[in-house]
Amino acid sequence: MLTGSKNTFKVRQMLPDVKERMLSQSSANAQSRDVFGLRCLPGECVLQRTVMVRKKLTAREGRGWLSGTLFCTHFRVAFMPQDSPKPDDNADPVLLGEHDVALASIEKVVAVGPNRIKLVTPNSSLKFTPEELVLYCRDMRVMCFLFDRLTPDAQVIEITYTIAKTYQPLKPGSVLSFQNAALGSVEMKQFLSNRRRDAHMNWFESASEWEQELERCGATSWRVSSVNDRFEMSTSLSRFIVVPQKVLDTELKKSFAHFNEGRIPRWCWRHPRGSDLLRMASFQNNIYHEKDDIRNLEMVLFGCQSSLCVVVELGEELPSPADIQLAHCRLRALCLGDISTSVSMPDDKWLSTLESTHWLDYIRSCLRKASEVACLLRSGHLTVALQEVEDRDMSCVVSSLVQVMCDPHCRTQQGFQGLVQKEWVMAGHRFYSRINYHRDSDKEESPVFLLFLDCVWQMWFQFPSRFQLTDDFLLALHDSIHLPLFSTFLANCQRERCKRSQNLGQSYTPVNGWRDVLNPDSSSDPSDPPLPPVWDWALQYSQERRERFTQPVPPPAPLQLLLNGNLNTNPDAHRLADTIPGSVFLLSRGTFTCPANLPPWRSSTSGVYKKSHRRAPSSEGVPGLERLLKAWALTEFPQSIPSTFGPQGPLDPYEPLLPLLMGPCMGLWRECYLRGALHAQAFSHPVSTNSLHPVERLAQEVQQLKDKLAQISTSSSSDSPTVTPEPRQTDTNLNRSTNNSTFLYPASRTQAAGASRAAPPPTSTNHQTSRGPSSTSRPGNRDAAGGNKHSFLFRHSSATDARHNPQYYPPPSNAKLPKSNGASVGF
Amino acid sequence: AMASPVSAYNSNTLDSQISNVDKDLIYICPFSGAVKGKVLITNYRLYFKSSDADLPVTLDVPLGAISRVEKMGGASSRGENSYGLDITCKDMRNLRFALKQEGHSRRDIFEVIFRYAFPLSYSQHLFAYLTQEKFPENGWNVYKPVEEFRRQGLPNNKWRIAFINKNYSLCDTYPTVLAVPYKSKDEDLSRVAAFRSRGRIPVLSWIHRENQAVIVRCSQPLVGMSGKRNKDDERYLDLIREANDTTKKLTIYDARPNVNAVANKATGGGYEGDEYQNAELIFLDIQNIHVMRESLKKLKDIVYPNVEESHWLSSLESTHWLEHIKLVLSGAIQVADKVSNGNSVVVHCSDGWDRTAQLTSLAMLMLDSHYRTLRGFEVLIEKEWISFGHKFSSRIGHGDKNHADQDRSPIFVQFIDCVWQMTKQFPTAFEFNEHLLLTILDHLYSCRFGTFLYNCENARDQTKTVSLWSLVNSKADLYLNPFYTPDAGQVLYPVASMRHLELWVSYYIRWNPRIRQQQQSPVEQRYKELLALRDEYLKKLEQLQLSDSSSSFHLVNSSTSNTTSSTASTPSQQYTQLHTPL
Repeated sequence: MLTGSKNTFKVRQMLPDVKERMLSQSSANAQSRDVFGLRCLPGECVLQRTVMVRKKLTAREGRGWLSGTLFCTHFRVAFMPQDSPKPDDNADPVLLGEHDVALASIEKVVAVGPNRIKLVTPNSSLKFTPEELVLYCRDMRVMCFLFDRLTPDAQVIEITYTIAKTYQPLKPGSVLSFQNAALGSVEMKQFLSNRRRDAHMNWFESASEWEQELERCGATSWRVSSVNDRFEMSTSLSRFIVVPQKVLDTELKKSFAHFNEGRIPRWCWRHPRGSDLLRMASFQNNIYHEKDDIRNLEMVLFGCQSSLCVVVELGEELPSPADIQLAHCRLRALCLGDISTSVSMPDDKWLSTLESTHWLDYIRSCLRKASEVACLLRSGHLTVALQEVEDRDMSCVVSSLVQVMCDPHCRTQQGFQGLVQKEWVMAGHRFYSRINYHRDSDKEESPVFLLFLDCVWQMWFQFPSRFQLTDDFLLALHDSIHLPLFSTFLANCQRERCKRSQNLGQSYTPVNGWRDVLNPDSSSDPSDPPLPPVWDWALQYSQERRERFTQPVPPPAPLQLLLNGNLNTNPDAHRLADTIPGSVFLLSRGTFTCPANLPPWRSSTSGVYKKSHRRAPSSEGVPGLERLLKAWALTEFPQSIPSTFGPQGPLDPYEPLLPLLMGPCMGLWRECYLRGALHAQAFSHPVSTNSLHPVERLAQEVQQLKDKLAQISTSSSSDSPTVTPEPRQTDTNLNRSTNNSTFLYPASRTQAAGASRAAPPPTSTNHQTSRGPSSTSRPGNRDAAGGNKHSFLFRHSSATDARHNPQYYPPPSNAKLPKSNGASVGF
Repeated sequence: AMASPVSAYNSNTLDSQISNVDKDLIYICPFSGAVKGKVLITNYRLYFKSSDADLPVTLDVPLGAISRVEKMGGASSRGENSYGLDITCKDMRNLRFALKQEGHSRRDIFEVIFRYAFPLSYSQHLFAYLTQEKFPENGWNVYKPVEEFRRQGLPNNKWRIAFINKNYSLCDTYPTVLAVPYKSKDEDLSRVAAFRSRGRIPVLSWIHRENQAVIVRCSQPLVGMSGKRNKDDERYLDLIREANDTTKKLTIYDARPNVNAVANKATGGGYEGDEYQNAELIFLDIQNIHVMRESLKKLKDIVYPNVEESHWLSSLESTHWLEHIKLVLSGAIQVADKVSNGNSVVVHCSDGWDRTAQLTSLAMLMLDSHYRTLRGFEVLIEKEWISFGHKFSSRIGHGDKNHADQDRSPIFVQFIDCVWQMTKQFPTAFEFNEHLLLTILDHLYSCRFGTFLYNCENARDQTKTVSLWSLVNSKADLYLNPFYTPDAGQVLYPVASMRHLELWVSYYIRWNPRIRQQQQSPVEQRYKELLALRDEYLKKLEQLQLSDSSSSFHLVNSSTSNTTSSTASTPSQQYTQLHTPL
């Protein structure tokens, strides 16, 4: 299926001169593929290649330079190291190799010659032979290629021109031609249309997927409504929204008009202590509120809590999209260290210049807001409604950060992907305009999602052992944003995505969800390639890279806590119950107020409602609430919530992870922003693959000790007839353990089973409950199973998994160790 | 109840209580406010425990860490908690206690602290001379100069081991065993000593095994205002150059800024001029001890007690602390790079015991992976710092009440910070962990060990004190980096750029309870658990081998089921006991 044979060339979008060159070189290309071993995508062809090139390796890749051949195709700049293994022709195509960069990711091409530096544009002509070629990328990578003295000058100049002419500075029209270059071939289209969606994550596309989430969270008094099935109620909301059970669709329909863009309060997440997180757009004030409307509006807003609703206004304390854009531009300029511009920031002013970008300030304010909300939620039994004018930017950030803080599921790769689907993709974050792929929405451009990723990275950086996903995963997601190939990012809302896939036919088969295709086989424009979701990581990254997306963590604790969604363990709960039913408070700048026109219908003169519900807007309630926020400030003191900081993890897994926000605790995501800084590339210490990892060495030693101990104890205890059977049991357990690593992790199943034999009911142990049928049916456990491949390192691991996959996974620090380090070790 | 602090340390023979101080007072905690409790003072530490069970605050401060004790308020002072004691510590914190004005309680406690924190001012012994602590390992055996030279492949046909200083007659601040060019005679050395500040002649610190390039250290030449020359010194430096075939020009790194070097001429010092024909001189622009002291003082101002919130990064920048770290590191990188390229170098500053020690030891850490092991790092400190006369006693001011002494400076702290920066940039390259670095800095001040008490080898009294390495090597597991991957022959060049240097938060801001220790990674956690498990098994094995068969069964039975839950936390608990202040 691999090829580039002539009849699959897609030339329709190409510049004429490129086409000519391509055709004239095609025979050479056929040979070169054999000689240099570049594995092309179907339909991809090599425009230019240059031999004897060295690529500068970045921090993560180790030190120095790598020799090989540089290629430019009409989709990417590729680099093949000299002695890379022969590609497997039968493997599925991967868009980008380890050393490649997509043309669409390139922002600038700079040629470095003797004593001169030139920015190369499609129209520029070179008056010197470059010694070095530097590609500045939109994802903040910088690729640097060094030409050898022996590299033919013609090749050097040609490849520089070719890259400069074919890379696509994003502009209207170029995106489609790029998509065609990558995915447009018949083979590629076919390949993509046969892809299956990842069934382990929740895509939130179908009603049943939303129901799964309701079940996972134990949100029993909520239901999935399809009132917006045809996007008639709100064009930017998803087809399915979650609303209180007790509100009927017919009643619900009247609520839409009262909110900007029809974005009514919808359920996002339920804290196991029984609070609900909602989000909504701003109220439409100039609307006449009928009595019936008001009843419904109150029900929608209060959700399933009768007593208390806190509206968290996101506008004031958080950066605007324009602020974020400006800060990000400054950060880019600061971090990239672009050699083509003579302005360079003196190193001794680095810290204050970084501060003046405000990027870290904005991250801090998002994390602070999310921490406040998380603390409100953990107090139980109230509704927190995030409100933003449009409800499509900062409410995505805050609602998802709250869940990352509170819900361990969202700190797994699959869970996080589901979270992004729920709070960004389905909630209608305007990815398409914010990323501005077409350079036609400069005013709208704002990397809100990248700000969010950095916030998550800060959390990861402070609590590395509480995340199953790694910074490698966050980085991969960060980089993918800049490739205009994924359906995930190429639309502003679900309606737009649906339109497109209706036109093209469904390329990705939903698992058991909606498939609303009128004529499934009629693709309106067969030349437009089907776009994959970003979550199909195998398209972009090798198996090896993808394995680094996750790390072993103890599997999430059994989810019994969630079964009824109500935990009355909270000391604050009874105090809050005193508040007058139906109170609405506004949280803004750290204080609670009770404005008369919040919500606006309460101030209207129309209703009887006013009388019954506006008894003294409870000043009593306010101190209770403010204490919750104080509690948040206090949790920064380790002694006040010891469970959160214990080395073994918290007692309550839903106790929020509250990041420290003091200046010294906020880090710069160097692995992302500084990987291009050529003048200052730290490199990791190369790891020798021959020696055992110290953890494994120690594990072996412990094993030997344990064997010895068992030996002595069995031989000595066999003298005593009364105890004979027990030591034998111990013995067999140990023998089993020697074949796998489980015993090293003492509370593992094998061992706990042996231990509980003496104790009466074996069902009382943790792991057996978690294996019960009730838990397997819950979607939340799916990724616990997925996580098990690594979890042998930890105490809740299962013996079976460990036996099959005795790999050692690297720690979340920079100390990345090659997998082979531990793969061969049988303990 | 107050007998416990002593046993909180693993050795219960460590210190003894001074009986008459066991007072009620109020600790004005900058984080939790006023805390009532009792203070206990031993001959080693000040221990405070809150009496309120809901507010568990404890303080455990070695008296050696105290730099200044002051009375605040007078008999007529009004206002809550305005009468008491103010204690300034050398380890980035201050303590404030409030007392009742009645009686003589303050005078008593002030005098006890003063007397035991500054024993030298009272002609008393430092605590290290009083302690009866015993350890299975003897840390004084860690460093044997001749063995270390042998490890480096010395002597050889270019370099010899000289014993001319065996009575400290050539140079009283140098070690007895020196490595010098094979061709130099002992008389030459004496004549060179006359031309080098305090007789600190150029001697070999380290030799590259393959290319035979060397790091040589010394003090400044006594050029003076008149620009004196010394043929012996010039000839001697040329011998050093000739000892390596590939060194065309000997590179002399003068750690100071150019202007400082010039200014030193006024006091008889200076730098090598053009008369040194086959040498090039490079200034590394590292500031002197006074600048470093002020810089750390500024840093303390922005992190203790409250962390500067609004403009943290620019405040940090204005302390210049990281910039100084950067200059030291980049100086060491230049040294290491020259040497690994086969070029011999000479490093000096003014006296060759502050900046020179920083540069040579950091360069050696970059060049030689042996120094990146636990034992090797101990050797490095013993050799480049202690034996070559870094003036620990003066720089720290052990037991001396003169807190404003201009000789005090955090040069060694700065070195350990540089090492920490390297461990951050190369997380798998060092056998030891951050805990070791913190332990070293704690005992830099504690006066519990003899290691950092003296100004030079000559003054050191090994027989009467215990080495810090006795403590470390007796429990080496605590100080090991689980991710260490040995790798011979790799030169590590850290990135000395503000972009990649970080403030060592878990040292400088560790007293702030809001700063929690960086969470351990799962694998590190696993490693700690395994260590505890191993200790447990070892203990059980020992017990089993001693006891009879019937009792051994019970041991096994109980151990296999429940071991980890009980033992897993042990190492971290130890960690907390030893190093968490509150």
